[in-house]
Amino acid sequence: MTRRTFRAMGTDVELLVQAAEADGGLAAAEAEFHRLERLLTRFDPASELSQLNEKGSLEAGPDLLEVVRHALAGRSETAGRFDPTVHDAVVEAGYDRTFGELPDDGPVPAAGTPCGGAVRIDGNLIELDDGVRIDLGGIGKGYAAEKAATILAAAGPCLVNAGGDIALRGIPWTIAVQPQLTLELAGGGLATSGRDRRAWRRAGRELHHLIDPVTGEPAACDLLRATVIAPDAIQAEIWAKALFLAGSHAAVAEADAQQLPRVLVTRSGETRLAGGLG
Amino acid sequence: MTSPTGRVYATALTFFVFFLTWAFVAAHPWPTSAAAAPDPRLKALAAREQKLRRESIATQRIVKRRWAAYQAQLAERNSQLAAAEAAAAAAPPAAPSVQIVSQPAATATSSS
Repeated sequence: MTRRTFRAMGTDVELLVQAAEADGGLAAAEAEFHRLERLLTRFDPASELSQLNEKGSLEAGPDLLEVVRHALAGRSETAGRFDPTVHDAVVEAGYDRTFGELPDDGPVPAAGTPCGGAVRIDGNLIELDDGVRIDLGGIGKGYAAEKAATILAAAGPCLVNAGGDIALRGIPWTIAVQPQLTLELAGGGLATSGRDRRAWRRAGRELHHLIDPVTGEPAACDLLRATVIAPDAIQAEIWAKALFLAGSHAAVAEADAQQLPRVLVTRSGETRLAGGLG
Repeated sequence: MTSPTGRVYATALTFFVFFLTWAFVAAHPWPTSAAAAPDPRLKALAAREQKLRRESIATQRIVKRRWAAYQAQLAERNSQLAAAEAAAAAAPPAAPSVQIVSQPAATATSSS
């Protein structure tokens, strides 16, 4: 097994491939991450996403177009719990620069910023309503993991882990979800969303990047993190965010009804398996 | 008649009668053989026009009936598609095979 790690999209990326000689595939997969980061980051004013947010409309390239399409489909499927239009709310909450550059503490954030504005796609043209800006941070990582896995799969069975957004190809892979809980997945994707990693303080109050589109503020729910297994890392990312916002009771009920395997960890430290995992 | 006035009147009357006769003959007030027996080509043309008119009405009826049937089928198909799309949107994505194991993990997930 060959392993490569590097930094991209503000997180640690790990590539695993079961092949003796896979340098070419690993290099191509890493290059794909950096290429997509340049397109999808909101921290670079020259990125395609930043241009869209600045101008309000853009003839987009295929990658931005596809990610926005996935994001809008996710918003529809999750009844608005997953929403790409949380950009301004995240910034207002204090996440206005790369996570590594965030100060430990700062002034009180502004009150909740409205989310849910219209995003239209017409051919290659993406149009945002006035004042609407989108953030593709999480789903962008899921998308990049899938694209990189598709490239790497040419070298052999592989796994791509983009800071918790995991895409698999070829063979069953074992993934540690909790210290005492390891899952074996045969294909598909897995993602974890939680408040235990990208969190910061403002005026002594702990804030995080998972915005509730209803309030426009960091979600105040009883979950610490939610892990979802889905057909791909993009779907897993969408549903992990949506379930986190639902809270533990609704998330368990929803997971059981949908029969989608999920691992939920509450803020009190309790681990709950749902969707047929338990 | 030796009176010049009488001759003038007689001549004028002759001319008047001549022109009256000429006008009568030129007006053809009597039925001609052509009018009595219309051109068979015109008859055939009129009959053909009538036939085409009847066929056109029948064709319009058929087209209208088929259009209505097509519209009904289209509406039914659209409602089936909408129902299928709604079901697909409501249905969760099918999850891949997963199980809890006690083997060492190849990697670990964390909050992204």
